Amino acid sequence: MAGINSAGVNGPGVSAQARGGIFSPMARRQYRALGRMRWRMFQNGMRTNQGVLELGARTVSMLIYAGIGFGLSVGMGFGSYAMVSGHQWAYLPILFWAVFMIWQMLPILLASFQEQFDLSILLRFPVSFGPYMLLYLIFGLVDVSTIAGSLACLGLFTGITVAQPGLFAWTALALAIFAAFNILLARAVFAWIDRWLAQRRTREIVGAIFLLAMLSLQMLNPAFHERRRTGPVSHEDHAASPRELEERYMPWLHRANAIQRWLPPGLAVQAVRRAGEVTRSGEGNGAPISGSIAAGALGSLESLGVLAVWMLATGGVLAARLKSEYAGENLGQAPARQKAQSRESGRQLGGSGPIAAVIEKDLRALLRTLPLLYAVGAPLLLMAIFSGAFLHGIGPRGNVFALALPLCLVYAQLGFTQVFYNNLGTEGAGIQIYFLSPTPMRSVMLAKNLFHGALFWLVALTAGVLASLRLGVPQPAVIAATAAWLMFSLPCNLAAGNIFSLTMPYRVNPGRMARQRGSQANALLSLLVQLGILSVGAAVFALTYFLDRLWLAAPIFLVMAAMAMAVWRRLLANVDGMAAQRREMLMEKLTKIS
Amino acid sequence: MDTAAIQTLGLTRRFGALTAVDDVTFSVAQGQFFGFLGPNGAGKSTTIKMLTGLLEPSAGTMQILGHPFGAGALDLKRQIGVVPEGMALQGRLTAPEYLHFVGGMYGLDRATTVTRTDELLEFMQLANERKKLVTDFSHGMQKKLALAAAVIHGPKVLFLDEPFEGVDAIAAGMLKSMLQGMINRGATIFLTTHVLEIVERLCSHVAIISQGRLVANGSLEELRAGVASTLPGAEQEQRLTLEEIFLAIVGAGGTADAAQELSWLA
Repeated sequence: MAGINSAGVNGPGVSAQARGGIFSPMARRQYRALGRMRWRMFQNGMRTNQGVLELGARTVSMLIYAGIGFGLSVGMGFGSYAMVSGHQWAYLPILFWAVFMIWQMLPILLASFQEQFDLSILLRFPVSFGPYMLLYLIFGLVDVSTIAGSLACLGLFTGITVAQPGLFAWTALALAIFAAFNILLARAVFAWIDRWLAQRRTREIVGAIFLLAMLSLQMLNPAFHERRRTGPVSHEDHAASPRELEERYMPWLHRANAIQRWLPPGLAVQAVRRAGEVTRSGEGNGAPISGSIAAGALGSLESLGVLAVWMLATGGVLAARLKSEYAGENLGQAPARQKAQSRESGRQLGGSGPIAAVIEKDLRALLRTLPLLYAVGAPLLLMAIFSGAFLHGIGPRGNVFALALPLCLVYAQLGFTQVFYNNLGTEGAGIQIYFLSPTPMRSVMLAKNLFHGALFWLVALTAGVLASLRLGVPQPAVIAATAAWLMFSLPCNLAAGNIFSLTMPYRVNPGRMARQRGSQANALLSLLVQLGILSVGAAVFALTYFLDRLWLAAPIFLVMAAMAMAVWRRLLANVDGMAAQRREMLMEKLTKIS
Repeated sequence: MDTAAIQTLGLTRRFGALTAVDDVTFSVAQGQFFGFLGPNGAGKSTTIKMLTGLLEPSAGTMQILGHPFGAGALDLKRQIGVVPEGMALQGRLTAPEYLHFVGGMYGLDRATTVTRTDELLEFMQLANERKKLVTDFSHGMQKKLALAAAVIHGPKVLFLDEPFEGVDAIAAGMLKSMLQGMINRGATIFLTTHVLEIVERLCSHVAIISQGRLVANGSLEELRAGVASTLPGAEQEQRLTLEEIFLAIVGAGGTADAAQELSWLA
């Protein structure tokens, strides 16, 4: 025992087995220690009012997540029951794909609203890889995507087994593997994104690709639907007969169906379906046909086997990433790829003085902080996908919904939640410079507000143009009302955002998409404020729209915008006092590592 | 009589039941290189945070260059430079970008900022790292950058919290000569560090804080004479090092015995 013992790690109470499996005595001690540490952190967090607020916000968030998950579960339950009892197996993949999409999309949509524990701090201890990976998986389990996804799976399980009780075991097995695959995939995607973001060069490449992809996807839609450019109304699909539609789309659907059968959601359905068809044929004949049952069971097992391969492969991808991290790869510095740079310093922007300095710094930081860039840009990307809903004749005259533009812009605005409501989050230890320098905090906040406001208008303009390309140019009254509403909502968000940024700040690690600390209180309350602003806007829009006086919305919003601007200015004037009162908390929250 | 560069009176800071800094009174003359020493947790960083406006005192007053100082004293802040405990760097910027940002925050015009940035990066031997993000810098490079940022506006009073931590010997020598040059040109430097040799070599005056209270204050010779007077006759003649003075004042008794108790250590 020369190695470890002679290094000094010895004495009573020290486990002789420093390495071992995920349930070795050493690993179990480490789990207990980590559990105790988390519990103590939780208890100590209660010492401050902010900690109590965080707990309250977290409880409310969990209830909301559980409510969403429960609704999803009920929907999936009824849907799967109807399909299985009606023997409409061909439609069951739709539900499984929906669960898959929810499971994978929610972490992306809600990345800024979730607090995650960074386990890389464990690497300084003699933690074996098995326990490290297990902890990595366990510590991410109580998040919104897993809760919603698991409850949706529970709904599918209930619906299918109530419709056909004989499928109990097959459904349980298929859904268990399917759920495990989803958990592993969500973790693997974020772990690899964090890896890519760790290097400046790849970070910039990923950022550029992301921006290009975002804009390209937006442009693809009008390109593919060129005939829709001429106006908001497309009656071609409505005019086409069902037979024409079938001829047009069925080959694509058949091809897509053939492919999806080999993908995890399709494989999970196949496993249940094959068992279900055999069970049904056995029940129908009165006596089971052993050969058919054996063939069905084999078919099910084959699907389950391929699904398990998908799951293991995804786990392998995640393990490969974690192994590098476990081996001591420094994500923060990524030293191996650094090369001496011989070029001169980057281009300088013009302008002197503190406001110009803050704007220039924030612009550079934003372009190098993919989580924020993503938060700002992702709604545009998703808007392109979801705005398709407006193309299907929701409106009263069977054409594009007249208020599609403001609705799309509302969604684009949601991306700015983190930017507006935690505008000091990326400062880190650099927050101190604002208190050390002779620049009043109101100048700093003004600079940030100007920058974020300009950025918001840029995104809103892009979203507006893209929405118009996709959905057609809306009426002038809608454009005017939407612009006026944005003029109202922007100062509201900036004013509330300044207060939240000074009272409930949290540190944003610019190199990571996942494992951010976050603040549930900030996330929940900022969402409530946004909902309040949206409700006011929606009320005005709805009232004027249904009274057929949409032109009236713009002047109403302009009056409200003037009031909101006055409130923003008033609050900005008080920022210095607020910041001075909270400077210790701000520095503590934004500089602490874990 | 010259106005003191730094003057505190009964400076106190409490965190709940803990009094981190307790009734500290001292004065630093202009042009002085002042060392502020103390064991871990003695209250050094808390004091420097109060003196630079990062922390509100619970009681007491302080003046910088003869004027009352607090978080809102913006004009006075132009006269001071700080290397704070966390260095206050922006990891997502390059070194020139960061210095331009700091120059802007201190109200320097663009041309002056650019000129001084180039000079400082050259002096700090960071000119070849212009494209590298600060987050990718080594700890020592970050310290040098933090020091460059603290002096870019030409402060009259410079507060340094552990500026030599993690800095290699070559860079430390260079920094020391820069600081000495500032002193020669009339600046005042308030330095906290655990490297007593540096204090002994650079500082003309030293204060020692222990458990939040100021336990010694004066020139090095005054402290040396004070400690020597408590020693037996023969030992009074030998020239005490600052480390011996420090240990005698803050008390280090029992550490050797305590180390013996950790018998399980190799």
